[in-house]
Amino acid sequence: MRLELRGITKRFGSLTANDDISITVEPGQIHSLLGENGAGKSTLMNVLFGLLHPDEGEIIIDGVVTKFADSGEAVRRGIGMVHQHFMLVPVFSVTENVVLGFEPTKSLNRIDYKKATDDIRRVSKEFNLEVDPDAIVENLSVGIQQRVEILKALSHDAELLILDEPTAVLTPQEIDALMAIMRSLAASGKSILFITHKLKEVRAIADVITVIRHGKVVGTADPTASESDLASLMVGREVELTVQKDAYAPGESVFEIRDLVVRDDRGLVVVNGVSLDVYAGEILALAGVQGNGQTELVEAIAGMRPVESGTITMNGRDITNESPRKILDAGLGHIPEDRQRDGLVLTMSLADNLVLNTPRRPPFANHGTRNLGVVASHAEQLVKDFDIRATSVKEPASSLSGGNQQKVIVARELSRNIDFLVASQPTRGLDVGSIEYVHRQIVNHRNRGNGSLVVSSELDEVYALGDRIAVMYAGKISGIVDPSTSREDIGLLMAGTTAGTSSE
Amino acid sequence: MMSIDEAPILMTINAHRGNLRTKVIGGIMIVLAIFVILVFALGSPAGTHSQLTFDPVNTTDSPIRLGTLTVLTRWWNLILGLAMLGLGVEVFWRQPRRGVMARFGGVAVLLLLALLFWAVRTPGPSQVSYVNLTSIFVGSSEVVMVLIFGALSGVMCERSGVVNIAIEGQFIAGAFIGSIVASETNNFFYAAIVGAIAGGLIGLVLAFFSIRYLVDQIIVGIVIVTGIDFFSAYLNLQVFTPYPNLNVGNLAPNLPIPLLHKIPIVGPLFFNQSGFFYCMVIFVAVVSFALFKTRYGLHVRAVGEHPQAAATVGINVARVRYINVVLGGAIAGIGGVAFMASQGQFIPDYTSGFGYIALAAMIFGRWRPSGAVVASIIFGMTVYLAANLQEFSVPISGEILQMFPYLITIAVVAGLIGRVRPPAADGKPYIRD
Repeated sequence: MRLELRGITKRFGSLTANDDISITVEPGQIHSLLGENGAGKSTLMNVLFGLLHPDEGEIIIDGVVTKFADSGEAVRRGIGMVHQHFMLVPVFSVTENVVLGFEPTKSLNRIDYKKATDDIRRVSKEFNLEVDPDAIVENLSVGIQQRVEILKALSHDAELLILDEPTAVLTPQEIDALMAIMRSLAASGKSILFITHKLKEVRAIADVITVIRHGKVVGTADPTASESDLASLMVGREVELTVQKDAYAPGESVFEIRDLVVRDDRGLVVVNGVSLDVYAGEILALAGVQGNGQTELVEAIAGMRPVESGTITMNGRDITNESPRKILDAGLGHIPEDRQRDGLVLTMSLADNLVLNTPRRPPFANHGTRNLGVVASHAEQLVKDFDIRATSVKEPASSLSGGNQQKVIVARELSRNIDFLVASQPTRGLDVGSIEYVHRQIVNHRNRGNGSLVVSSELDEVYALGDRIAVMYAGKISGIVDPSTSREDIGLLMAGTTAGTSSE
Repeated sequence: MMSIDEAPILMTINAHRGNLRTKVIGGIMIVLAIFVILVFALGSPAGTHSQLTFDPVNTTDSPIRLGTLTVLTRWWNLILGLAMLGLGVEVFWRQPRRGVMARFGGVAVLLLLALLFWAVRTPGPSQVSYVNLTSIFVGSSEVVMVLIFGALSGVMCERSGVVNIAIEGQFIAGAFIGSIVASETNNFFYAAIVGAIAGGLIGLVLAFFSIRYLVDQIIVGIVIVTGIDFFSAYLNLQVFTPYPNLNVGNLAPNLPIPLLHKIPIVGPLFFNQSGFFYCMVIFVAVVSFALFKTRYGLHVRAVGEHPQAAATVGINVARVRYINVVLGGAIAGIGGVAFMASQGQFIPDYTSGFGYIALAAMIFGRWRPSGAVVASIIFGMTVYLAANLQEFSVPISGEILQMFPYLITIAVVAGLIGRVRPPAADGKPYIRD
């Protein structure tokens, strides 16, 4: 399929999410759409997929101007989309998910499951995407679920596949497998639109790269372009991709976890006997595919989740199962994974959010009465020091951009005199500029001789920050390695192969 | 190429957790069994008898007589208790993957039976005090039917992701309007149609506020129920008191099915019922079939589980929800008419809480029509026995027994008995982008 987007413009109120975007995807081509979070990639894809209607511009398929009333129509016209958050019903079987909306029927509107299953077997054989049609989706790993999504698109005879940030949840090995699938699909004549903000992947797979920024196409590039060129095109200025760190000089152990066991909300053991040490002056990066217990581990450290057994010690003090307030007072800084849920009270002002962890103490309050003047001046100071872009410290946190919201949290946690920092996915969803900034703040904290535990599912971040790298899999630490370890080896650890052993 | 499958450790822990729940259920069954053995069996003096009869009260209908069965209370309850114990031990020990709830339901029925035997025990053989099982079944079948209508309505709505807490209101509206129509036309079919329309319209109101304006569905539901409750009481005073001829709907006639209704026990229970009962049976079959076999049912379940996923393949989420909530409302409306027709007229507050018990039955039945039927039978029989226990001069207060369905429901919802999982998007509004 030859797809042409011509002058697509989409506005939400005063915000122009897509501004006169024109792109052409040739048959058999892997076309990368590179841009930061918030650059307008997802809006563009939703327009193309019929979920949103453009205000201006047209979609041209094989020379014919096309309009989609809804995404069902887009699917019927040969456009398939693999969403970043999978559009699969967890309790349905693979078959039910694949045929949903396009079910073959017998009399009485009954679904012809036999035909459906046969069709799936045929398509999965044709494209070499092996999957059990009768498996229940929630029992499949994320990589296989993604395969089901691709299969779903292909079985609706998609000629153009849109892959929206498909690698975000995959291990390096799964990413390799996905890329192999993409290549073979392109070779069989399918067009692929690959949306990402990851420079390495773009260079590895794309035939053509289109870069968008603030809703506009700012240029095209060859896959041979260097990472820093692509990054500066994407961000609009020179960026430093690596963070300067002082030489690694670990001090004594400041933070110890011993045999920690934690359950998740469903009561399942998701942290299963974890032991870790973090030394003064180092960043221990905890890598791992999301959902292997990292979230619960951090919550347990911050006192937000009960510890079943084991101990957590900070500076020689046992903080296991203490209340969050006591843990914070003991000197823990915490950058939570979900900044909007656990990091900020979105409806409260910037100034109030900046004292969220110390609202009752002098100088912010005296004898139970808040000292609003001090709160405001404190906020003004931090806004200046941490370069938070806000019109006023009185505006609600919800009015800030994601990057600035994260800066508020970083400012609040690091401006205080803390001993130990635990940061969970500290740069998720941030633009390159903000990532750079947050990384520098965390490294500064380390350079001052403090310990940090940084949890991240982005390997780039793990390498950029970690003095040592621990890998978590299925609730256990599958290995602790040096940052000189190769991506492949860390990938194996992320998939549960313990250090020292390796499979083919 | 190595494949990355689900974390094996987590899977084992998961399975272990499931076993624990099954064990708890088994444990509860064993406790109930021991209670029956100690109190109902060994608590009955050695010589006491319980009398059973299976013949319907109206004996002209049944040419085949089974006569009365006189049993020794102690030994029969011991047998029932041991059967319960067997089921409990089996669940506790073997932890079967399927059918745990069915076994639990069986234990509940055996418990009620043992309670009855114990309640009617007499020091020696007697002609006066006996349990007429058939009449208990037939008598409770009216309540069971109404609960099934309500639970089916709940299944329809909640499978598409809308919580219908307004079933009670739809019952009341159906009973009220159904009574007027039945009194005027003396035709229960028309009454059912009008009742369905009334219930459907209430469903439409619920759907409109919760889908169009994203108002919290529970709040809308409670507002509807409360409003209709008082409005019907008001109308009762203003309409039925001055014009009592509008509220003489009379009982819906039984429509015996030739030959089949003469079979003992089964005949009176299944083949000599009102049209509403047959209608209910058909509804259960149709809803079950539609939900799990048809294309439309797959769409409904997808919308209730993951509306975004449904939308991306071109399913109109709002439309599916509107249709299901209106149809569900119509079913509950017919249920209201059926209830009125089993009582003979509309009485304010007479449905007191049946809509909520139906909702509980739906949860207990795990959002499945078949499960809802099983749960409605258990709950319905309990409600019936609670209301009629005085007959047997049992030293248990009916009010206490009436708590039973709710206690079970709380245990179920709290995850104590089995794992219940509502549709993932149940009660959550779908906001397009």
